[in-house]
Amino acid sequence: MPPALLRLNQAALMIDGQSIVAPLSFSVHKGDFIGIIGPNGAGKSSLLKLINGTQPLSSGDILLQQRSLCKLSSRQRACKIASVSQVSPPVFALTVYQVAAMGLLPHKGWFDGNTSEDEQQIKLALRQLGLQHKARALVETLSGGELQRLYLARALVQQAELLLLDEPTNHLDVLYQHQILQLSRGLGKTVLACLHDLNLAARYCDKIALLHQGQLLAFGSPEQVLTAEQLSRVFQLPCEVSLHPGHGKLQITFFASGASL
Amino acid sequence: MKQPFILALLVLLLMLSGLLSLTIGSASLTVTDVWQALLGSQQNPLASTIVWQVRLPRLLCAMLVGAGLAIAGAVLQNASRNPLADPYLFGLMAGAGLGASIASILLPPHMLSLALAAFLGALFAVALVFLVCMGRQWRKIEMTLLAGVAVSFMLSAISSFILYFAEPFAANKVIFWLMGSLSRTDWGSVGLIAPAVSVLLLVALMLRRQLDALLLSDESAQTLGVNPTRLRFILLLLTALVTACIVAQCGGIAFVGLMIPHLVRYFVGVTAVPLLLGCTVFGALFLVWIDNLARSALLNQEIPLGIITSVLGSVFFLVIMRQRRSAA
Repeated sequence: MPPALLRLNQAALMIDGQSIVAPLSFSVHKGDFIGIIGPNGAGKSSLLKLINGTQPLSSGDILLQQRSLCKLSSRQRACKIASVSQVSPPVFALTVYQVAAMGLLPHKGWFDGNTSEDEQQIKLALRQLGLQHKARALVETLSGGELQRLYLARALVQQAELLLLDEPTNHLDVLYQHQILQLSRGLGKTVLACLHDLNLAARYCDKIALLHQGQLLAFGSPEQVLTAEQLSRVFQLPCEVSLHPGHGKLQITFFASGASL
Repeated sequence: MKQPFILALLVLLLMLSGLLSLTIGSASLTVTDVWQALLGSQQNPLASTIVWQVRLPRLLCAMLVGAGLAIAGAVLQNASRNPLADPYLFGLMAGAGLGASIASILLPPHMLSLALAAFLGALFAVALVFLVCMGRQWRKIEMTLLAGVAVSFMLSAISSFILYFAEPFAANKVIFWLMGSLSRTDWGSVGLIAPAVSVLLLVALMLRRQLDALLLSDESAQTLGVNPTRLRFILLLLTALVTACIVAQCGGIAFVGLMIPHLVRYFVGVTAVPLLLGCTVFGALFLVWIDNLARSALLNQEIPLGIITSVLGSVFFLVIMRQRRSAA
């Protein structure tokens, strides 16, 4: 097996003496699509922040291509890791093209202008995400799904090998939820995505990391992680795991009548 | 219209305005007189003296002050994602005014010591605004604005108090610091303000991609390799420097930094390069004509520049607030 693209070694985050992410270890290989699941406050987004560097590690290490992320400058890190998180539309009237072009930033020096290859790259990314006809549109006119696709396009322009998606399907209707995940899978990148919807995780992820109270409870294939016993314990609701009659992937059904309020 | 065309048009207008402005004043000069004086012709020595010793330095100062305040406003607005930020509303001008007022009383009159004291005063004002808005409130546009206005009033009041009690005929100085004027400017002023404005413009252009990345969110900018705190610190330091140099020479000229970036954004867009270049030219053009108006509106008397910019700016400010409320 080739060496892991990303490896977490006892990576942990403490804030004000409170453990947000307990020391955890797992590896991500090139081309993997990994889902991070868990209830609210499990530490999913914090884990992504540790990887993209917006939150410094309290202990442990994270290796990207066998090199510690702590030893990379923020610019070097941005060349290798792109993030798509929940961002509200900007205060000022930016166009779709201008936001996508921001992905060039880590690759450019103070005096570098945009080359014709850069322009082509931005247009290609917008085309891949179906936004080429909206290049001149203002970001504030985009729907939630289009906005997510735009941030994916920016991540493509960034040319990073690892893509971190923080709740990419939040506030999207069913069609856009599937569209975003299908597009993310089709980009040929290694992806780590925080997901709330377990059925989407079961359908699209190669591997799943289950977090609970900052601890990594399970890491493996959907079949290994998404067991009724484990999910009932973590989400505190009885549930049933079955096979979807259409696509044959796992399907999770929670029984809300068992909820203790 | 394409951005380069708009910018070229503004540059042309600025050059024509500059030429016309040199003809305006108590001694009447024709465009030909001015043109010959500029070319170094000695046919009319009086015209040459008026142009080179009086009007040209004042014109260049008007251009530099307008450009400097507009660039500072654009940088502050984009870096803080606050469309109402400007050196005046951020408290920078009042801080610089306080520093300069204290220096004008305590120290022997010297251009550099005045500018340095104004710079320290501007930094003090920024520190106060930061202190009030520390933490989450920094992100709230209205909160920073209120803090800036409060700090502005407080420091202006202290300046006026100091000047009022320290000098027997303080009224002129108080009016100068509060309302601004280009009447005291000379080639020395040009020499002081030009490098500061050039440095701010060059650094902001070099950091254009980082500034653009800040327009979305701090976290988003961080994932692109930007350090928002360091970037803001550098830019705030430079805007404080520019404001200080301007205030030390021309007093407090309000609202230019608020109005010009808004107008320029409307025509050339919000990203750093067209915005900064547009602000440079349009800011210069705007203040040249405001100064012409200040010099020629009343017979044998000059209106303080800040009165005109304040009238225009306050109306503009109300319009923006109303638009923001409708948008919300």
